[in-house]
Amino acid sequence: MKKMMHWGLTLFFMLIASNAFAVTDLNPEGEIKIIPAIMMTALLVLFILVGVFSKAQTTEDYWAAGRGVGQIGGGMAIASNWMSAASYLGMAGLIYLKGYFAIAYVLGWTGGYVLLLVLMAGQVRRYGKFTAPDFVGDRYYSTTARFMSALIVILISFVYAVGQYKGIGMMFNWIFGISYQTSVIVGTGVVLTYVLISGMLGATKNMQVQYVVIVITFFLPLFFIANKLGYFSAVPQIGYGAAIWDIGHGGNGITAAISDPSYYLPFAKYTMYHWFALCMTLMLGTAGLPHVIGRFYVVPRVTDARWQVVWGLFCIALVYWTAPAYSAFAKFSNLLGTSGIITPDAIVVNAAELAGLPEGFAGFLAAGGVSAAFSTVGGLLMAGSSAFAHDIYFRVFKPNASEESKMLIARVGTVILGVSIIIVALNPPALIAQITAVAFAMGANTFFPLFLLGLWWSRTTKEAAIAGMVVGLGVTFGSMLLPKTSILAYYIPFTSSAVVGVPAVIATMIIVSLMTTEPSQEIKELLYRVHNDE
Amino acid sequence: MDKDININFFRPVGDFMKKDVAMKQKIIIVWFVSVFGFLLLLKLVADPNEVVQLTLSTGEVITQVTGKSFLTETKFLGFPFHYWYSSQFLIALFIFLCYVYCKFIDKLESEHESQK
Repeated sequence: MKKMMHWGLTLFFMLIASNAFAVTDLNPEGEIKIIPAIMMTALLVLFILVGVFSKAQTTEDYWAAGRGVGQIGGGMAIASNWMSAASYLGMAGLIYLKGYFAIAYVLGWTGGYVLLLVLMAGQVRRYGKFTAPDFVGDRYYSTTARFMSALIVILISFVYAVGQYKGIGMMFNWIFGISYQTSVIVGTGVVLTYVLISGMLGATKNMQVQYVVIVITFFLPLFFIANKLGYFSAVPQIGYGAAIWDIGHGGNGITAAISDPSYYLPFAKYTMYHWFALCMTLMLGTAGLPHVIGRFYVVPRVTDARWQVVWGLFCIALVYWTAPAYSAFAKFSNLLGTSGIITPDAIVVNAAELAGLPEGFAGFLAAGGVSAAFSTVGGLLMAGSSAFAHDIYFRVFKPNASEESKMLIARVGTVILGVSIIIVALNPPALIAQITAVAFAMGANTFFPLFLLGLWWSRTTKEAAIAGMVVGLGVTFGSMLLPKTSILAYYIPFTSSAVVGVPAVIATMIIVSLMTTEPSQEIKELLYRVHNDE
Repeated sequence: MDKDININFFRPVGDFMKKDVAMKQKIIIVWFVSVFGFLLLLKLVADPNEVVQLTLSTGEVITQVTGKSFLTETKFLGFPFHYWYSSQFLIALFIFLCYVYCKFIDKLESEHESQK
């Protein structure tokens, strides 16, 4: 069944794969870059060592360590789990290509946390389940709903991970000079080994270290780039503003003739509707991603669950305030006519090269990008394989399975999932951030309405949940299959399908609920307690 | 007497939920208006003479405003104002909204606790 889903999805992607997104070779000379290679190897060794030495620290120990530290540390864990190759590499690439339009990515991936906090975090924690499919199965009193939602978790992890693999492949290609295809396979081998090792070690501590690495590698080169290009470099996150102004109006070596106002003007390349659709999809997807919602179950107190979101968002913001600066500096260098290869998905690394900095800086960024991808792939593979082992195998097929056989199934699931992602990642269908956006659209079209109505309208029934998931998946995949020039594809782009999908799913769920038998009194009483702190 | 336990975001039941939802609604309104209200504003105040031709994915060619206005031509911290607002201010506002809500609900919970 799972395999069939994978092949089906592969086929879907192959269908839309035949376009201009062939991956350019970032290292055509095929030479290994010594300094970046050492940096990246050192980082991976560091992560594994941290895992080994913090092994004794269990989740409970960690939270008992002190409230303030726990919330900030939890926030850092959310942030490193969240920030992937899409945030680190992909987002800057899209801003470089699409200008102000792509700010919708920055806002979508931060603004969604407001919804997540206000509508979900506390309530999900009080409801007291362990995984997203657990919640769905219990709230909608249905094994079918649980089974379907577990499959959706696997699908989301799958699509999301494809984008990460692409990032890992590109960076391995750039550092080691092996072809992109070989890089994906080698990179996957390293990721799988890493996940299987670190899955047994102190995960939370490791995520904090990864977060610190991500922030340092992302911040440090920017000071030098800003300085080199002649912008305010003490706080380059402010300094790049002047670069944007110069790109649009000319200045600092850019003549009015070669300036590019379409970089900063809001509607110069895309319509207002598409900005709205993309931003909304990413926000709703953020509030509906199962592995993000999953982070609230593990904390002992409701208030910690909520403060974790605030700290998590702050930690994420540090990187999101910075990403547009890379695009701006790369665009600026590009207009100046500095020579060098430019690939949107590697723009962060390119920005350092274009500014004429020594190779070590670009290597630093490449290593950071890989660690961002690793931390997210780790979380995704674990979420996907636990949906398979816990929610499908244990809950649906073998309720009396032993702990050992569950662990074995989870490992096997990780490997199957990890390897099948390679097939799609070898021929990536779109840019990293776009592939990731599809995963968000899927989360928004399925889990967001399931949680929203499940928590906030006690009349929602089991049949409505099942119908909602069917419609949600239909819209997500339908939007990918639409002919690119059709009018429907114009209104429902595959990266932004939730703008139509979420209202459609919510309407379906309300209508079906009203036509079917009300949920039991117990569910209503449980929800009443959830909402009234009892 | 049986109390009403039908949960509906727009008809909250129970004292705690009523106060909580009232705050949630305020936060969501501020969140929505600050992001999408500003987008609409950019369109509304755009200079009608500054237009660009766009080829849509359908192949149709349309003419629309580029969005050039006092919002994009005012310098703020070196940025075109709208760019600063979107890529920096809004993110800070999101953090602030989350902070306000957490403070509020912590207080509400401790009041609720002492009443029980």
